[in-house]
Amino acid sequence: MKKKIAVIEDDPVIQKELQTLLEGNGYETAAVTDFSNAADQVKQIDPHLVLLDIRLPGESGFSVCSRIRSFSRLPIIFVTSCNTDMDELNSIMLGGDAFITKPYHTAILLAKIDSLIKRVYPEEGTESLAWKGAVLHLESSRLEYEGRYAELTKNEVKILYYLFRHGGTICSRADIIEYLWDNQLYVDDNALSVNINRIREKLSGLGIRDFIRTKHRQGYTI
Amino acid sequence: MNAGQYWKNRLPFLCAQLLGMTALSVFLLINGNSRDVTAAILLVWLFALAVCMFCSFYVRKKRLERLLSLAEDLEEKYLIPEIIQKPAEAEEEVWHRLLKMAGRSMLEQIGEVKRERKEYREYIEQWIHEIKTPITAMQLLCENHRSDFTREILGELEKVSRYTEQTLYYARSGHTEKDYSVKPVRLEQVIHQSVTDNKYLLLKNQVSVEVGEFPYRVYSDEKWLRFILNQLIVNAVKYKSSEPVLKFSGEEAGDTVRLRVEDNGIGIDSQDLPRIFDKGFTGKNGRKVQNSTGLGLYLCRRLCEKLGMGIEAEPLEKGTVFILSFYRNDYIYQVQEQ
Repeated sequence: MKKKIAVIEDDPVIQKELQTLLEGNGYETAAVTDFSNAADQVKQIDPHLVLLDIRLPGESGFSVCSRIRSFSRLPIIFVTSCNTDMDELNSIMLGGDAFITKPYHTAILLAKIDSLIKRVYPEEGTESLAWKGAVLHLESSRLEYEGRYAELTKNEVKILYYLFRHGGTICSRADIIEYLWDNQLYVDDNALSVNINRIREKLSGLGIRDFIRTKHRQGYTI
Repeated sequence: MNAGQYWKNRLPFLCAQLLGMTALSVFLLINGNSRDVTAAILLVWLFALAVCMFCSFYVRKKRLERLLSLAEDLEEKYLIPEIIQKPAEAEEEVWHRLLKMAGRSMLEQIGEVKRERKEYREYIEQWIHEIKTPITAMQLLCENHRSDFTREILGELEKVSRYTEQTLYYARSGHTEKDYSVKPVRLEQVIHQSVTDNKYLLLKNQVSVEVGEFPYRVYSDEKWLRFILNQLIVNAVKYKSSEPVLKFSGEEAGDTVRLRVEDNGIGIDSQDLPRIFDKGFTGKNGRKVQNSTGLGLYLCRRLCEKLGMGIEAEPLEKGTVFILSFYRNDYIYQVQEQ
């Protein structure tokens, strides 16, 4: 089931782009438009998580947070450009679950959202992705095809995860490398080629051919 | 007090005395007093005069010396009019009033300047918070529309946010005590964050990054530490050589945890090495590379001092290693265990 995220942000561009980003990463979003009674709107939207700016017209994010806390325990992430320790302390005291400062790395924001949602709404079953009969098991770092398994390294899992998530579209090498860097794997261009080749070998070992296709000058696609 | 000057100032008074003595002796002699009597009277006068003059000189000298030593001992010397004893003479009274007036007007001036400085600093901080909103918006726009073009812009945005951060920390470095919270920090996490902060810079310059195992927790302020690491990373890229490598490794040495940031760049000249943390120092390398401000490492050292950390640079066979040392404090663990 898709999780719904409420975005409380007064800058229209950030609001819109944040929604685009979250929707692109598999979340449903709703924006609070009337800042005079943000908490009530959050109640109506009934989201799984709230992204809350501190500096809002009218009421401050802190008071919105404490008003939301009066009726709900849903996770709240403060997103703000004020990065003083007082603000951070305030946000935690008032019941915020995380504090991210602008300008943020989207990867870090998404990781925070993901880990909070996983913690608050635990789902049964292990996470796995499937594409054209191949199944990627994230927890055990294995690739399954017709009952046969191949063990994968950390880099290989992340590369495959990225390709599976973008199945059918072309992923440029630069995008893959950036994604790996966001996941603390500092792989350069050559190392990516090496990893892709190794994955291809493992795939052909499982009996899948031409799973990862190279698009000349564009990138890879599955 | 200069004795010569003192007696010179007393010259008119002494002359008047001398005149008085002459007039008296002439008067006494005309009235038929004997020379001996006249001489005796003059002697008594002279003696009394000398005793008075020397006593008053001595007393004044003592008083002024005490004042001087009082001022020496005082740390904030401008407070001297508040603590000296009440003036005994009419003239001193006036000087005292003048001193107080001067002090008050100076304090007013300083207050004014301080207020202006504070307002300016607050404005800068405010401005930085405001500029972050459009930066974030641009960043999101680029991330949602990935292409080679937006990737270039993201690289530039990374620079913009680095400069704004530097400004913020420069504005704040004078009064860090208001803005840091020392917490247990996982070094590895901070390093990864710093690398991510400079992702586009490192990717563009094809720097290969190696992060070693860090089982260490240190007590520090995460935000400031990240700023310091960012500076070191930027420097390593700025002064890189071909096939740049950036290596983070940690080690324990006694009661310190040391974080080593190694690069294989052009290195620092041994003559420049002792001065690289000075404000505005750019040295030989600064002349080779554009936009060296001599500010980055200076800020690093200042922040390290405030955070109670050590920072030093050592030359390697090729490149430089910066070593950050964190002091372990057993008391913290003891308190926590209880």
